[in-house]
Amino acid sequence: MAQGQHHIIPTRTLAAVFGLLLFLTVVTVITARIDLGVINIPLALAIAGSKAILVAWIFMALKYDNKVNLLVLALGFVFAVVFLALTLADTELRGNIGITEPGTTELTVEPVESE
Amino acid sequence: MSSTGTTLKHYFVNHEQQFDAAKLGMWLFLVTEILLFSGMFVAYAVYRSWHPEVFTYASELLDWRLGALNTVVLLASSFTVALSIHFVQKGENDKVVVLLLLTLACAAIFMVVKYIEYEGKFSHGVFPGAGFEPHGIVDGKDYSKYDIPFAPQFFSIYFVMTGIHGIHVLVGMGLFGWLITRVARGHFSPQWYTPVELTGLYWHLVDIIWIFLFPLLYLI
Repeated sequence: MAQGQHHIIPTRTLAAVFGLLLFLTVVTVITARIDLGVINIPLALAIAGSKAILVAWIFMALKYDNKVNLLVLALGFVFAVVFLALTLADTELRGNIGITEPGTTELTVEPVESE
Repeated sequence: MSSTGTTLKHYFVNHEQQFDAAKLGMWLFLVTEILLFSGMFVAYAVYRSWHPEVFTYASELLDWRLGALNTVVLLASSFTVALSIHFVQKGENDKVVVLLLLTLACAAIFMVVKYIEYEGKFSHGVFPGAGFEPHGIVDGKDYSKYDIPFAPQFFSIYFVMTGIHGIHVLVGMGLFGWLITRVARGHFSPQWYTPVELTGLYWHLVDIIWIFLFPLLYLI
């Protein structure tokens, strides 16, 4: 019995997750078609994120797996967020000459006298 | 059992460890896939934050009904893959063949819908890059009104992201075709089904990518 002891996910669990995924798809279509102002984008991302977690947790069996696989996925996600955050830190603030606080545009430290 | 997969490689303690190692390797590969797509998601985020109104406006040209249909089709295919692993673990290989054929059919439906969408865009001058010259009227939408600055960026991102995703679907179809012949030849058993498990993981990741592409491109 090499792989015989692996957790077999019951078909009822799989069907329930599939049903939930379809339900969330309907929710995201409906909410996106209503103008909710600034909430539209975060809501759509939150629903997509929930769906992705459902797929990874049950369909990809991370819940039942050796947790090292979850760690690998989490690290990949962290680096994707670092990538996004550092890029936006550039593109969002690029050329922002309105920032005039001391330390950004003025010398706050006296230059060292050179001989 | 002629397959090499059932043999325990000398550098593993037991089959369980061999299976876990294969799966860990697959997860590492999936992370590289996530990072590949993250480059495109970052491009999307940057251009969207620069031109939010253009992205909202240009996405009207994408048919959310076709996008939603493809979402349901891919979710269904993920479900059939998960079921196929359930049944291969129980040794019910007849059901595995049927479920993998259903998965393959879903993937094919996805690509046909994608073809219809691309064809509809190309025939009205919506191309990625410099060829962008929308014209004609479809469903009461005058395409020429979408010939505005930065709309080409939205459609370039749309074509590149869905295009590379579509290539992944095609690769998945090839893998499922290969798996089906192996299941039919009796290569897998509850003792050894590593290729089914790993292909399943790949397919679920392709599904997850689409779960994000659908709202970002079609809905908001």
